[in-house]
Amino acid sequence: MSKTHFTKNFKTEKQRVFSTDFFTKADKYEAWDEIDFSNLKEVDGENTFEIKAEDLKYYAEAVGDDNPLMIDEEYAKKSPYGGLVAHPLFSTTICFWCVGVEGKGNWIRTPGARNPGQVIEIYEGFKVGETIHIKIKPHDRYIKRGKCYLTYQMDAYNQNNVLKTRMYATLILPRTREDIKKFLTGIRGLED
Amino acid sequence: MNKVTFESVKDGDVLPSLTRKVGQETFWKYSVASFDYNPVHNDPEWVKTAQPFKIPKTVGHGMMTMSYMTSVVTSWALPSMLKIRKIASKFTRPVEQGWEVKCTGRVAEKHFICKGKNFVVIEVKAENQHGDVLAVGEYEVVFPD
Repeated sequence: MSKTHFTKNFKTEKQRVFSTDFFTKADKYEAWDEIDFSNLKEVDGENTFEIKAEDLKYYAEAVGDDNPLMIDEEYAKKSPYGGLVAHPLFSTTICFWCVGVEGKGNWIRTPGARNPGQVIEIYEGFKVGETIHIKIKPHDRYIKRGKCYLTYQMDAYNQNNVLKTRMYATLILPRTREDIKKFLTGIRGLED
Repeated sequence: MNKVTFESVKDGDVLPSLTRKVGQETFWKYSVASFDYNPVHNDPEWVKTAQPFKIPKTVGHGMMTMSYMTSVVTSWALPSMLKIRKIASKFTRPVEQGWEVKCTGRVAEKHFICKGKNFVVIEVKAENQHGDVLAVGEYEVVFPD
């Protein structure tokens, strides 16, 4: 597939370096039936995210939100908020960046994954200038109506270890690594 | 816009709605914004046969729809310095190209705790132009007063 569909929309530095290919290295993604729940120790995400104004502005613009608190730095600076306000769902961007390609939680990149809905707890909004790291651990794994669900707890902290958000990230996944391989070749790897 | 206070807010109050028209260009743009490059949203050729949702076309990101729903609440909450502290969503139907996504919200619960901890629950719904429900969400919003 042509990448110009993406590159024509690139406006931030991070967008230019993040890989758009979710197929390469998919053999390294965690598979639903291989997750180790005997070890619930939290692990750091692969990358950290240094928040710049362009990151917050672009997310709001991409979801059609023209709230000046989210897109106008001068306006936001003069407001009681003192600076740009992050759209609450900017946590999605944080998660994908910080999880990375080969780190724990990389199952969120699985071709064939389906999103049933999410839970996000917000303690503090993300701010320009913060450097975010996430801590990840398995939370739940279940089958419901024939579909395989996986939930990880993903906690986002700033550089001062202040907890910003907690996301209970859940996806419906192919059950096995063989099912993932089917999707990589364009075959449906699900039983439901 | 008049500021919303805990005294003034009432259960049943309706928030201003919003509507977004979506298409493949929207999905590509959201992929770039979110770093979610799952091919179910981006790759029309792959999805013809892979069909995770049993649909041979690309569909929108659930987090895109959830973002639209959230904008209903932030537009209402931010001017009054209210804080969203929890969001819980369910995606009930994949969003297809060419659809309009209309998001509506209302105050469903009013919780009387104490100053600084009083909160409301906003129920938000996303529907397409046919009235099919695409997603639902619940937002806990805390009042400073």
